[in-house]
Amino acid sequence: MDPMKKEDHSQVFQKRGSKQKKQPRRPKKVRSKAFKEGFSGYLFMSPTIFTIGIFVVIPILYALYLSFNDVQLLGGIGYEFIGLDNYTRSFDDDRAMIALKNTAEYVFIVVPVQTCLALLLAAALNSNIRGKNAFRIIFFLPTVTSSAVLTIIFMWMYNPDGLINTILAFLQMPTYNWLADPSIALKSIMIMNIWATAPFFMVIYLAAMQDISDSVYEAATIDGANWWQKFIYITIPILKPVTFFVVVMGVIGTFQLFDQSYIFSGGSGGPNNSTLTIVLLIYQYAFKSLDMGYASALAVILAIIIMVVTLIQKKFFGEEKLHD
Amino acid sequence: MDMKINKMLAAVGVSSMLLGTALVGCSSESSGGGENEDGKTVVELAGWGSTPEEEKLLKETIASFEEKHPDIEVKHEVIADQYMDVTKTRLVGGEAADVFYLDALEAPSLIDTGVLEPLDDYVSEDFDIEDFEEPLLNAFKVDGTQYGFPKDFSTLSLFYNETALEEAGLEGPPETWEELGEYAEKLTVDEDGDGQPERFGLGLSKELARQFYKFQPYGGQVVDDNGKAAFASEEAIASLKPVIEMYQEDQSAGLPSDVGTDWGGDMFGQGKAAMVIEGNWTIPFLEDNFSDLNFTTAELPTINGEKATAAFTVAYVMNKQSEVKEASWELISYLTGKEGMETWTSKGFALPTRKSVAEKLGYDEDPLRQSFVEGASYAQPWQAGKNLPTIMTNFDNQFISALLGEQTLEEAMQKAQDTANKEIESSN
Repeated sequence: MDPMKKEDHSQVFQKRGSKQKKQPRRPKKVRSKAFKEGFSGYLFMSPTIFTIGIFVVIPILYALYLSFNDVQLLGGIGYEFIGLDNYTRSFDDDRAMIALKNTAEYVFIVVPVQTCLALLLAAALNSNIRGKNAFRIIFFLPTVTSSAVLTIIFMWMYNPDGLINTILAFLQMPTYNWLADPSIALKSIMIMNIWATAPFFMVIYLAAMQDISDSVYEAATIDGANWWQKFIYITIPILKPVTFFVVVMGVIGTFQLFDQSYIFSGGSGGPNNSTLTIVLLIYQYAFKSLDMGYASALAVILAIIIMVVTLIQKKFFGEEKLHD
Repeated sequence: MDMKINKMLAAVGVSSMLLGTALVGCSSESSGGGENEDGKTVVELAGWGSTPEEEKLLKETIASFEEKHPDIEVKHEVIADQYMDVTKTRLVGGEAADVFYLDALEAPSLIDTGVLEPLDDYVSEDFDIEDFEEPLLNAFKVDGTQYGFPKDFSTLSLFYNETALEEAGLEGPPETWEELGEYAEKLTVDEDGDGQPERFGLGLSKELARQFYKFQPYGGQVVDDNGKAAFASEEAIASLKPVIEMYQEDQSAGLPSDVGTDWGGDMFGQGKAAMVIEGNWTIPFLEDNFSDLNFTTAELPTINGEKATAAFTVAYVMNKQSEVKEASWELISYLTGKEGMETWTSKGFALPTRKSVAEKLGYDEDPLRQSFVEGASYAQPWQAGKNLPTIMTNFDNQFISALLGEQTLEEAMQKAQDTANKEIESSN
């Protein structure tokens, strides 16, 4: 409740006359009141500003600063300004290029697949099938499970003698060495991640689908459209802003792949660098080699890449809103 | 008006509470040990985790130390994962333990940064430094200064399944690497004939740590005099060729991951390999988990006519920032002294680095451990300058792809060497 208004209401009856006399001084008072209001507003925000400042803004600025320095940590902390050397070094770093290639491959496969899968799952659950609430819960379970636990369970299933190979062998299909074969290992992580993240985006799609007015579909039915035409010409275009959100979040999430490949390879990015991602490489440089300057430079490069990709997507999807 | 004041108060309260919490978090804790409430000096000891049996043994050793030094309390902490990453980060933050484990492989680079306390001035006559095996002592010595004392070591030996050898009509362990190849071929079993053997003759470990000792008999080396990678030489490649041939052509050797196991000891125990080259830590593992397994050990087959094996050793080192250096030295000198080492190595998980202790415990006559003790005299310590972690990562990455036949060994080694040297150059 606004305290100023409350004061005004009480004055309406008691001091109508005196209020008029005060009128010339009013603008000044309003300004000081506005200042007080603003101040208390900032005071209320201060816990958040404080936390975000300390744990987000300052670290970002500090990382930017570190990326232009050669940082010595062990045995006496020292900084030496080296300009863009850390950035030029990354172009000459084979492992950085491999990490970028792996990450890009991962993004280009995982994002489209998980987006399509999420859309299809949502469409299925939006129809009037029996027990859809139970399915919603079951589909959503992977998302609420910790990714470390998921990775460990998947590693058991991916074992050469594990569940997946046993099923494949039973179906007379070829079996794979999911964890140790360099040409397969990244795909194993892709499968696992698609399975785990698609349901999260499914929920977002589902919420948006339930907002689409039935009258649109009714009109289409009268015009003789079948369910497929309705899906392609009504559902997908209306969901375009949601798809933008899903793709952007997906791209950001997949570019930052770390925990799964870290657990898969025990932190090495192996076999043969095949599960080395940019964030894993940043971790290795930062904490294994304690080369904070170069690691920060790689982190800044990753941030720039994600920003550029997001801007391209924004161009591609246009600036539509869900309701207007 | 009251409401407004209340709001202000609430906001101020919340922010100051938050600020307070943050400040408490920032308040500096002293690095490592100090004094506890009883006036005892507290020494922090950090190491990585190991088996429950080993933990128990270490506790016993520490308890007997505390008994002899009633004024010192030892706070033992286990760093469960990524030991070196955690330790280095803590050293940077001034929060590292007073005394901690250091693997020989990491020693040159950590000593180079100057975070370790030189120990020469602490050593007394009683400590009997001559008693240590010299190569193991040298692993922690830089420019004549001693930075750590090896607590124990392990070498590699050949483990072989006696039942399997008997069934194949083979007698005794292979003497040369060529013989090992023949044995492995005879011991490989592929019953269903799908080209994927159920039992390999030899279980392989693909890491540089398990390959480097083969270089020397051929005249190759891991690093050159400048500390740069040098494993792509003709000699080094010649020494790695036999393993590649066994894996690709004869299919008589396999990796633990090929048969769904984590490491050689597990592969051997499950009967998925008839022979493995492993360290003495494998003995208690096999005895505990695969008690019916009929196995024994032998010295490694000769490589190019020469005896060779690897030695892995770990030392206790002291943090230069420690505030309780005298007490820390008391702890190190007890743990690596004759008495402490005897307790610590009494169960044979690792071998004593002091000659007198090895003699006293009689490991040179133990049928399973004899070969490991024999190996100590010609073993090459797993250490090669401060760039070894970088070199190792690159070797491990490329060697596996040569093993899988994605590229030739020459290509793979050249690529690994070039990448490693480029990384070394740009990080300096």
